[in-house]
Amino acid sequence: MSESYEYLFKFLVIGSAGTGKSSLLNNFIGNKFKEDRCHTIGVEFGSKIVNIGGKSTKLQIWDTAGQERFRSVTRSYYRGAAGALLVYDITSRDSFNALANWLRDARTLASPNIVILLVGNKKDMEEAREVTFTEASQFAQENELMFLETSAKTGENVEEAFLKCSKTILAKIETGELDPERIGSGIQYGTGTSKRLAAPKKPARTPSDCACHV
Amino acid sequence: MLSEATMENRHGPPGVNSRSLSAAHSAADLEVLREIENVYFQPSSEFDAGRYVLEHAPTTSCDEIEQVFTKLKRQQQVVSGKALHLISQQRDNCDKEFKEIQNIREQLTTTLQTCQKAREQLRAASNHLTISTFVILANFRKRQIIRSVLKSLELLRSLRSVETDVAELLLKKEYYGAIELILKSKKAASSHKEYTCIADLATRLQDTLDMTEEKLDAILASICYRFDEIIFRKLRKAYALLGKTQAAMEQLHMHYSSAVNESSIEAVKNYVGDTIDMKFQDMCMSVQPTKAPICLLNLCENLFLIMKSYYLLVDWHAKYDGEESIPISNNVFEIEKNVSREYIRQKLNAGLVRIWHDVQAKVSTFLKSSGLEEYPFEKFIQMLGILRKLTQVAEVFCGDKSDLLQDFIKTQSVLYIKNYHKGRMEELKLFLENEGWEQCPVKSTFNLLNLQEFKQFKKYLSVRSDTSLVKTQSDGASSVHSQDDSVYISKYFKQNTSHTPFEIFRCENITNDDIFGLEPELVSDDSDDEPEELKRDFVDENDRLPNESPSKVKDSVIVTNTTLSVLRHCGQYLQICRYLPQISLEVVMLMNQLFDYYFFTAHLFFTVDLNVASTTLYTPKLNSVLKRIRNNIDVANAGDVDKIPCPDPPQHLNLGIEESLHGLSERIVAVESVIFLAKQYEILQPYLESIVSSHQRMILEYFKDNTLAVVQDLRIPVYMCSASKAVDARTALIAMSQVKWDVKNVAVEHSAYVDMIIRKIQVFALRLENIATKVTLNSEILNSIWSTLSKFIVHLLVEGFSNATKCSNGGRGLMQLDYRQLFLKLEKISGLKPVPFQDYVDKYVKAYYLPRKGLEEFVLERVEYSNKHLMALVTCACENKKDRQALSAIIESRDSAV
Ligand SMILES: Nc1nc2c(ncn2[C@@H]2O[C@H](COP(=O)(O)OP(=O)(O)OP(=O)(O)O)[C@@H](O)[C@H]2O)c(=O)[nH]1
Ligand SMILES: [Mg+2]
Repeated sequence: MSESYEYLFKFLVIGSAGTGKSSLLNNFIGNKFKEDRCHTIGVEFGSKIVNIGGKSTKLQIWDTAGQERFRSVTRSYYRGAAGALLVYDITSRDSFNALANWLRDARTLASPNIVILLVGNKKDMEEAREVTFTEASQFAQENELMFLETSAKTGENVEEAFLKCSKTILAKIETGELDPERIGSGIQYGTGTSKRLAAPKKPARTPSDCACHV
Repeated sequence: MLSEATMENRHGPPGVNSRSLSAAHSAADLEVLREIENVYFQPSSEFDAGRYVLEHAPTTSCDEIEQVFTKLKRQQQVVSGKALHLISQQRDNCDKEFKEIQNIREQLTTTLQTCQKAREQLRAASNHLTISTFVILANFRKRQIIRSVLKSLELLRSLRSVETDVAELLLKKEYYGAIELILKSKKAASSHKEYTCIADLATRLQDTLDMTEEKLDAILASICYRFDEIIFRKLRKAYALLGKTQAAMEQLHMHYSSAVNESSIEAVKNYVGDTIDMKFQDMCMSVQPTKAPICLLNLCENLFLIMKSYYLLVDWHAKYDGEESIPISNNVFEIEKNVSREYIRQKLNAGLVRIWHDVQAKVSTFLKSSGLEEYPFEKFIQMLGILRKLTQVAEVFCGDKSDLLQDFIKTQSVLYIKNYHKGRMEELKLFLENEGWEQCPVKSTFNLLNLQEFKQFKKYLSVRSDTSLVKTQSDGASSVHSQDDSVYISKYFKQNTSHTPFEIFRCENITNDDIFGLEPELVSDDSDDEPEELKRDFVDENDRLPNESPSKVKDSVIVTNTTLSVLRHCGQYLQICRYLPQISLEVVMLMNQLFDYYFFTAHLFFTVDLNVASTTLYTPKLNSVLKRIRNNIDVANAGDVDKIPCPDPPQHLNLGIEESLHGLSERIVAVESVIFLAKQYEILQPYLESIVSSHQRMILEYFKDNTLAVVQDLRIPVYMCSASKAVDARTALIAMSQVKWDVKNVAVEHSAYVDMIIRKIQVFALRLENIATKVTLNSEILNSIWSTLSKFIVHLLVEGFSNATKCSNGGRGLMQLDYRQLFLKLEKISGLKPVPFQDYVDKYVKAYYLPRKGLEEFVLERVEYSNKHLMALVTCACENKKDRQALSAIIESRDSAV
């Protein structure tokens, strides 16, 4: 198999329903754009190996449902994510207004050092724009997020978004700001590296604790 | 004898002179004349009169001879007289005639003189006329010579312009004319060698001929890419003129071979960066995976055009030969021509198969080096579709069933599906490791048909219990259409179409069904099954929290993210089956492996903390299915590549918190989602059975009976993990050991430990209610939780009772009082009526009252109690030491017997 990589990053795609999270992921992993996409139920998954600064890196991307009712179900996937795309729809102010909530969830549930990139999607629908580039940039700056406007339809900036986020993570690893060895960092050494995370210890099974015979 | 009249006419006197004779004399003479025998009148050359007389002379007597003699003498006198008479009579006539002759001779002499004079005059006249004629003749001849010189000059002039004329003709596609012109010119040039001005023209013409032939060859080569009947006809005529019909056909075949090569390279080239010095195979290998389908499409399309051209060529020959075939001819040239035609016909027919083999080889090379198994599903399906179409094309083209390609498709499909499955399993592992085991909010009517992936299967599947509704019409997918297909494909082989059968693959919204020519799914009665409807269909809309009283919850559907993900995969696996019916079983088996893995993981994660030694927790079937699955899983984490990696227990699950009943909510979601998943698989069973061949059905049935039907058994061991922690066993046992069991009188009040246990159970019930706000618990689930708890309680009680080394009748009564009280309360709290497993403790306690014989039977038969339990029983029940020893011996021997 050609599945050799040096790092594995766990990624999240979060944001309100209908902002185009699944579309972004599908575009990134090479599927066709669909006009009428179903809401995601729970989470979906995609992965892709990309080359970042000469290092082949596997991105393990979890596409979460944006609908409120799935919050509890999707939460468990936040844990230990190294990066996240926080998506809003430039044609929907509501989705922009909800960003703060999503951001809070991400910062509390995922790894504290999570690298987040703000994505204003549906860039192709300029005529219906409700959120300006400047105000979004300002929001990004205030919250120390990177920012890009994308279109899952035309594919504009989609790959860039994932790559930019990955590059930042890699840079942080190289400066020592992020430690891949730390459990829950959302980063693993891949098959291409000799260092490998020790398999987490399984809790030992202790059937003899009790004298009961059932 | 002559008649008298004739005699008379003939011998009668011709002249008038006879009248002068005397009448008597003449009468006698006439008589004599008349008597003369006729024979004497013959000419003397033919008749010898003397001899005649001698022969007829009488021999008898002399007299008679004398008589004859006289008679003959008389006759002779008469005849002589008569002759003399006649001669004298004709004398005058003779003289007269003679005079006449003399006269004519004189006239002739004068005529001769006249003629001579005339001739002389004529000769003079002709002499005068001859000279002018000669002049005319000479002039005429001169003109003729001049004319021929002029002709030669004109010829020379035309010879000089041959090259340009030929080029012009070629441009006008008049190949025959061009060749004809060159050949004629060549002949003329060689027959006019005497003209020095065209001495080297002959060689130049040869060059022109060579060049023209080269041009024709190039045009011939272009036929490979697009067969044009008109051009081909012209070419053929030209080659026939050159006498190279057969050679041209050989050449054409070579062109076809190289056309296959070149257009293959052409198709791939654009998708490879630097193609210099690259072999086709290397080029194929460097095609980007994302570009491979489009590249394959181009390849097939290019190759199709060549096949089409060849097909038309063969077709044309079949028609043309029919038109022109000449019946048996004695002409040597014709025979030769017929032999050559036959040769070409065979060559053409053999060429069909050869070209297809070339094409197949190219496509196989491409596929082999393109790493097909790495493609995304959609792309793979598309590639398969293209290949399928190609096999259909081949069938029309040369009747080949493309066994090579079919085999290739099958092995690649198996490889692909295995690789695809490996990816899905890795994904499933990830999903499981990240799963929060929270109930996903779906409607209570949710089943797998609500998922988009199963949209296509709706008509084959029925969730109703009457399985007779399940239609099994799926397996005709590959064969039924082939008849129509060939008609359909033949259309593309017509000359006047520029379309190819591969075009549909260029269409953006082509569906997989289009690709495989499967029937489009009929929109069923519930046609308001719009995507809109579909996507929301199974999501629990009203955000209803499951806070209704648990007993009211009838249908609870407990699924996790991962359950949905497994189901989605199933849908995709089944879609693969639709397109690859020949590997259905393999796919279904892999699909079952998804289930196994989910099942195994749920067990693995949620029984890690099982602290109850388990012999009756696991049913034999459950044990064996878990064992079966474990065998395929790399449980030891040894990196065994043949085994499926074992999922790592998640760190985010905290199963140690008492308030949440040690993760009971997660445990319920896990177990119930496995059970739900099994139900979904069961829904699929009839359909699965319809897509595999009949002898493979057993395998599916086995899976159904020994895996799907067993999952319910998972409840007890998993729920036991929580149930067994509801009451702390150590504390309870200590409390029980403090009770005095050797009391004289039967107590009125139950022991204190009972209340302690009841309190714990009440706490458990409260916490369970809490869980019911997060997870929809139907009565089935609740019952199984409570019955697990009672199972634990009865075992706890027996354990506690067996710790009593001394026990009186009163003590036994107290035990009964205690557990009655306990079950009464448990029944109230749990709603179980009756509380199960009561027998276990009841029988144990009451065995105390059995006589020695009964006790022996009890000890022998009741394997559900441990040796320790029975020892304690015997110790308490037998006052007689000998009996006690005998029974103890029986109990000890039990182990070895089992
Ligand atoms: N014009 C345009 N439409 C887009 C774009 N991205 C997504 N859409 C459309 O927006 C709708 C929602 O897209 P999804 O990708 O399903 O959105 P989502 O964020 O995954 O939604 P949930 O799964 O419910 O959270 C679909 O109809 C898409 O076709 C885009 O860049 N441009
Ligand atoms: Mg989505």
